[in-house]
Amino acid sequence: MKLIKTCPLLFGVIITAILISVISFALKGTVYKDYAASGNIDTPILATFFKAASDGVYPWTKAGKADTEQVEGISESIIETDRGDGEIDTLTLEAIDEIESGTGVDESIISANDISGDDISGNSEEVYEFTEVDDDYFTDALFIGDSRTVGLSEYCEELDSRATFYSKISLTIYDAMNTEFIKTDNGKITVEQALSENQFSKIYIMLGLNEIGTGTPETFCKAYKTVIDRIRELQPDAIIYIQSIMHVTEKKSSSDEYFNNENINIRNNALSELADNKTVFYLDMNEAVDDENGNLLAELSFDDVHLKASSYERWHQYLLANAIVKE
Amino acid sequence: MINFSDLGFIFRFLPVFLIAFYLTPATYRSVTLLIGSLAFYAVGDLKGFAVLGTAIVVNYLFGKAIGSEKRKYLLAFIVCIDALMLVEFKLLSQFVYNSFMPIGISFFTFKMISYQADLYMGKIDEEPGFIETAAYFCMFPQVVSGPIMRFSDYQKKTYFQTKEAIFSAIEDGLRFFTLGLGMKVLLADHLAMLWNDIGTIGYESISTPLAWIGAACYSLELYFDFWGYSLMAAGIGVMLGFPFVVNFDQPYSAKNVSEFYRRWHASLGSWFRDYIYIPLGGSRVSEGRIFLNLLVVWLITGFWHGVTLNFILWGLIIFVIIAFERFVIPGKIPVALGKIIGRVNVLILIPLTWVIFAISDFRGLLDYFKRLFPFFGKGIAVNSSDYIKNLGIYGGFLAVALILLLPGLYRFFERNRKHPVFTVLLFILFWICVYSLSNAAGNPFMYFRF
Repeated sequence: MKLIKTCPLLFGVIITAILISVISFALKGTVYKDYAASGNIDTPILATFFKAASDGVYPWTKAGKADTEQVEGISESIIETDRGDGEIDTLTLEAIDEIESGTGVDESIISANDISGDDISGNSEEVYEFTEVDDDYFTDALFIGDSRTVGLSEYCEELDSRATFYSKISLTIYDAMNTEFIKTDNGKITVEQALSENQFSKIYIMLGLNEIGTGTPETFCKAYKTVIDRIRELQPDAIIYIQSIMHVTEKKSSSDEYFNNENINIRNNALSELADNKTVFYLDMNEAVDDENGNLLAELSFDDVHLKASSYERWHQYLLANAIVKE
Repeated sequence: MINFSDLGFIFRFLPVFLIAFYLTPATYRSVTLLIGSLAFYAVGDLKGFAVLGTAIVVNYLFGKAIGSEKRKYLLAFIVCIDALMLVEFKLLSQFVYNSFMPIGISFFTFKMISYQADLYMGKIDEEPGFIETAAYFCMFPQVVSGPIMRFSDYQKKTYFQTKEAIFSAIEDGLRFFTLGLGMKVLLADHLAMLWNDIGTIGYESISTPLAWIGAACYSLELYFDFWGYSLMAAGIGVMLGFPFVVNFDQPYSAKNVSEFYRRWHASLGSWFRDYIYIPLGGSRVSEGRIFLNLLVVWLITGFWHGVTLNFILWGLIIFVIIAFERFVIPGKIPVALGKIIGRVNVLILIPLTWVIFAISDFRGLLDYFKRLFPFFGKGIAVNSSDYIKNLGIYGGFLAVALILLLPGLYRFFERNRKHPVFTVLLFILFWICVYSLSNAAGNPFMYFRF
């Protein structure tokens, strides 16, 4: 007892550390299942407790949000069927059928039909080509994206003054539709709500970097397709542009296990197949910023991931030069 | 693990080491300290371990010879060897491959040089044994980034015997450690994010207000990073029975730049004073010689911090300011005005010199200064309200950092650190830091958010 009086802080810290470690260890198979696995041996086990807490998962949170298993199921079924290049629509549809009962996204079957099905095939003979436009093209355009698109809005005056931006740092395809971040007079709303209220003629999407370390290219594409289908439903007349995930620099690419251009290219290839070239188009914007080896030009970036303010003009110019004009 | 603000260090290395250290009989504790420190270093930098090991043995042997014979040429020889080793690795790491730099070499070579000089000058009483010398050179609380403790201070260590004394030393050290951890993790690491964001925008594209906020931000980041580190190092030292080494003593309350550098990284400043400035004649020589001595000291200080030209430029500018304060202000400028200039130098010029310290390529540096002083043309793609956004995100951290510059606050903590209120506050601070570290470490997806 005397010692505790001498060093209350030390004892407080030790006892708390032991308690948290015991809790983390005891719950590592249940509540902390998703967190314990991601920690490597270099990190003491009590870190699990805090990692989970930052996601709002506490020792008393019920274990077994079984989403993980379902997601794995999805990826497997897609991998199994994903053999040919041309058939991605049907393959994805099959996969959607298989997992539909689990995810509870009822719209996706219907909307998947919308996009790959026949209802717009009436004008399918029409071939669209990218043409050059001027800035006024963007007055009824919407940009959805992560920090890179935030940068575009902040440092491309021409676009920012005309287009609408629903962009947020660390946005992913998984939370793109249902995160409340768009400010309105009545508080923050989700992209889905905003798209129900406002109509756009062109919708540019660039997402996919933040989530590159999670899931597989297939689960990613599946989620991407669900988002596009939902947008298509809410904005039946809009041209949807899937922008390629922008590359990182050679320095980053060669040193990062996840955030490298190999991974980005795999996902970009898969994304390009979501385009039907009728209402959904794929824009390989990396053409505007790559070096000869297919990496982001080093001088365009400071942190090897984002464009510097002065480099966004390349992106802007690329969009001006690669637009679809209907009629 | 070789970083004090690493969970592995806090929850594994440090407790295990402390238990081992205090289970060792008092007379053998230096052995435990040596083994623990070598293990600590080896985990962090195995290649550098060979360099450190060799340097320890060579310096010990030379020290033995110098201690008994006091030959000047021996001293000159080993000092040259140590200095050359440092210069060589600095150049190699700069121009060949940057992982050639053994961790902490700038610090442990300076300890070695001071050790040899102190032996020669008779400042070290009894002839030190190998274990003591080696433990002093590589002791883990100081090996990575100082403080550059003198051997005579190392010898002042207390051999705690009673449980009571041991525990109260650990408790006291933990209080300093926790405060330092908070400064590093909660302040410096967040301010570093703002500085990084400014780089991401590109120096040529920031607004002038953001450029000034950036200068303040980097200055504060550097201060709380290094002060925090020094408090953690000193705190661990206290846990082991060493005297508290004051490395930062409210530098921004200094009246002029030369005082600033007596209070900023004090163990380095006093090293330069004792082993370069004074041997060159110090202030007892002609004004011309003093001028030259100051120039030498600041050129070496610049080089010591880094090999690139910006560090040399940084050292030269500090030299110019200090020379101005010494040779122009006294007598030639009214006293009141001189006082104002001194404060302005500390509060405005010093942050600007840190910008030079921070940006190693000249093109970027030029761009940054053009934005600080926008008389030389406009930037490119500047968003003139960028500073509002960044103040929104980081304003709180900047405000807390600025408030902590008030010298009275730390003194109040120092005097009352054992008060129960501080116990509770430090306890909370400790776990907030752990929370923050848990979510940054070992989890690339939490850390990288684009």
